[in-house]
Amino acid sequence: GAAELKLADFQPPTHFVVEKVYAPFAAAVEDATGGDVTVKVFMGGELGPGPAEQYNRVVDGVADLAFSLPGYTASTFPMTLLTELPGVIDAETGTTRILANLDMLSDEYRRVQIVGLWNNAPNLLFMAEKPVHSMADLAGLNIRVPSRNAGLIVQAWGANPVSMPAPEIYNAMQTGVLDGAMIDATTLGAFKLAEVTKYITQGMETTISDFFLIMNRDVFDGLDATAQTAIIEAGKQASINGHDAWSGIAAGALEGFAATEGKEVITLSEDEAATFNEAAAAAVAQILAEAEAEGIPAQAFVDALKGE
Amino acid sequence: MLATRTQALSRLLDKATYALAIVAGALLVAMVLTISVAVVARYLIGAPILGVNEIVQLTAVALAMLALPYATSSGAHVRADIFDRLLGRWGRFAGDLTTRALSITVLGVLVARAWAKVLDAFEYGDATNMLGLPIWPFYGLIVLGMGACILVFALQVAAILLSGKAAHD
Amino acid sequence: MTELGIGVLGFGALFALMILRTPVAFAMLLTGFFGIWMIDGLRRAGAVLVTETYSAVANYSLIVVPMFILLGNIASESGFSRGLYDAAHAWVGRLRGGLAAASVIGCAAFSAVSGSSVATAVTIGKVALPEMKRLGYGAGLSTGAVAAGGTLGFLIPPSTGFVIYAILTEESIGRLFMAGILPGLLMMALFIGAIWVVTWRDPSQGPRGEAVPLAERFRLLARAFPLIAVIVVSIGGIYVGAFTPVEASGIGAAVIVIIAFATRALPLDRFRHAVMDTVRTSAMLYMIVIGANVLNPFLALTGIPDGLGRGLAALGLGPFATLMVILLSYVVLGMFLDGLAMLVITIPIYFPVIVALGYDPIWFGVVAVIAIEMGMITPPVGLNVFVVRNVAQDVSLATVFRGVMPFLVAMILCLALIIAIPGIALIVPNSMFQ
Ligand code: NA
Ligand code: NA
Repeated sequence: GAAELKLADFQPPTHFVVEKVYAPFAAAVEDATGGDVTVKVFMGGELGPGPAEQYNRVVDGVADLAFSLPGYTASTFPMTLLTELPGVIDAETGTTRILANLDMLSDEYRRVQIVGLWNNAPNLLFMAEKPVHSMADLAGLNIRVPSRNAGLIVQAWGANPVSMPAPEIYNAMQTGVLDGAMIDATTLGAFKLAEVTKYITQGMETTISDFFLIMNRDVFDGLDATAQTAIIEAGKQASINGHDAWSGIAAGALEGFAATEGKEVITLSEDEAATFNEAAAAAVAQILAEAEAEGIPAQAFVDALKGE
Repeated sequence: MLATRTQALSRLLDKATYALAIVAGALLVAMVLTISVAVVARYLIGAPILGVNEIVQLTAVALAMLALPYATSSGAHVRADIFDRLLGRWGRFAGDLTTRALSITVLGVLVARAWAKVLDAFEYGDATNMLGLPIWPFYGLIVLGMGACILVFALQVAAILLSGKAAHD
Repeated sequence: MTELGIGVLGFGALFALMILRTPVAFAMLLTGFFGIWMIDGLRRAGAVLVTETYSAVANYSLIVVPMFILLGNIASESGFSRGLYDAAHAWVGRLRGGLAAASVIGCAAFSAVSGSSVATAVTIGKVALPEMKRLGYGAGLSTGAVAAGGTLGFLIPPSTGFVIYAILTEESIGRLFMAGILPGLLMMALFIGAIWVVTWRDPSQGPRGEAVPLAERFRLLARAFPLIAVIVVSIGGIYVGAFTPVEASGIGAAVIVIIAFATRALPLDRFRHAVMDTVRTSAMLYMIVIGANVLNPFLALTGIPDGLGRGLAALGLGPFATLMVILLSYVVLGMFLDGLAMLVITIPIYFPVIVALGYDPIWFGVVAVIAIEMGMITPPVGLNVFVVRNVAQDVSLATVFRGVMPFLVAMILCLALIIAIPGIALIVPNSMFQ
């Protein structure tokens, strides 16, 4: 039967995701179902604010579909979140590798139907005042991290990880509560972090966040096979589109930042990058061991992602 | 007879809601301490406590839910009183009953759904991101707080019906 | 029934419930729940109830509410607010309406630490209202000054309103904060002007105090030390990067509790009273946020906000007329809706229209925030008025609404000035960021 699916997104209606991801997704679903299934997008948290509760909104059925980050409900997605560890995926090819191994994650998506899953541009070190050329430069500095795993990495690099909601970063970097933040380059524009950042350090293997598009399980199961296939196929394309959009915006933002007077993008020398990577690798090994101890086939998944 | 019993029940419920609010008060003090310790640890000692915002957030959930029945029973909820005289005695009587009947209905749905969330969050082991604190007890506090509000409203309905007068006439 | 029809019905129901004495929080909750049920069924309506209740109370940035209320309650229970007001009275009490003006200045000072109108109104209200009552001020003027003064919390940085506007429009938070400074000070001056006019027409609203010798004035100033210390620590701590504005609320509360116990100004039973009142008022405010959180998705589902934006563009009015229509809609929406909800609903609709007409986006941020602040004090739903009424229990809501009228005029005047002279908003950001 005919159905209008309500897609919830907490990001502003002006966000590029509307044009680059949702419009083609909606068109593909509508085409493949002969107009039986349509998608209506509610941006700006119209169906409920903020990223943290989007997963619950889909589980409970406030929204049929929602965009969010698995990192906001990390306890539900320990395996998905292994992809964010340094060195596990490559930012460019990560999304295709994740999609190829999606069935290994099915246990984590029992309460919802996974529709799309793609990786963001890599997290870089945004520094308010102090340039980071080496790990020694980071010692004892307060760095905002997006997740527990990222915290362990930053700690391995010798800095103090600080947790704080994303909208607070701007003020905290401006006043000095934070020395920096580990975050992706799209936030230079989205959270205006370019205004409070002087130096960005890149070149080391770093954490990479994931986004997903999830669907209410009952609503998905209630659709006929044609519609289900249409959504799954459109979701795969949405993942590719999402990845390309985010990495394109990030690259442009970073380029613009580097070209701004008084701002600098520091690319670590090979030796320095190797120091960072060694420190991170030890932390990654420990995280994988802990996951294995909890009965998660962590190493097998990581190997599969790496194509080994 | 019925009126006396209702009054006795109301007094008992008032004591219970006050007791919950005392726990909320203790949590308020704990929240001040947590924030202060977190700031001192980060700024003066240089050792930030990871995930402290999760503790503060969950404390706020508990604080709000434990204090809500007390706020409801002590008439803290603001309402427009501009039309009170215009409504007349029976209008106020009917309005107070309608308000409470509808509120009991909606809070009833909320409590039922929150209870389902308790079971779901427990089954799937939902926890916070940094510290891994379990979420289900906090949905449980919604059940407790909103459930107590239903009782408060129900006893108010009984009192209004028995006295034949609106709540503050 | 169409979704639009259900939306209109919903507005009617919201209004009817409030007339029938339903508390504001529950009127929003009921309208939102039954409205979503009608559009999308019981399952979705029930889901909204539980997710939005949790999301409202687990909101990190809302912890400033209990923290600032505690700060204000401790200040009043320990007599520190009385100390500040004795000092303010000694210094400006000779002037007609001097204490009301002092309260507005207090609101402006407190706004520099608080991002919220409600927190500002609660804190200064707890301090100022009992003192103004004690010193013979009219209930209308004193409550009106605090309810209106609280709106400065949104205009003077830091401001949650500007942060949300910036995120919705991808404009610069820093520039918006800078843009709020001069309009905030102008608004403060106009509020003081409103007080002057009110007391000129009716001197009994703000009676002159007696002259106080200079030595006595300084002695009294020393008694204002605890609150001044709290403000200095809070603002100073944010400035040097010791803590965030959200954390500053907790630090402020901690500092005042420590000073109160250290100076033996706070017996244990008064401390308990302050704490119990804080959790009670906080729970009331959290319930309002829950109600607004349930009402908002209902409005989105009716498609009313969406249709309005398309309709506005279709009208094809000139820039000035369009701006006036937008401001008028804020006046109407502001009667019913919570300020932040209004921003989230309207900015996506209006912003593209405004920018296409050639208006400066930063300037419009200031205009929109002022328009939304007006909604916080207009009847029948004026959050700041409710909050002040809650602090001043013995004053009727109608009295507070009457009391804010002169300040509403001042706000309209401020808005008119900023529309006539956009430089008031733009000169600071334009000179700071090249
Ligand atoms: Na402010
Ligand atoms: Na209003």
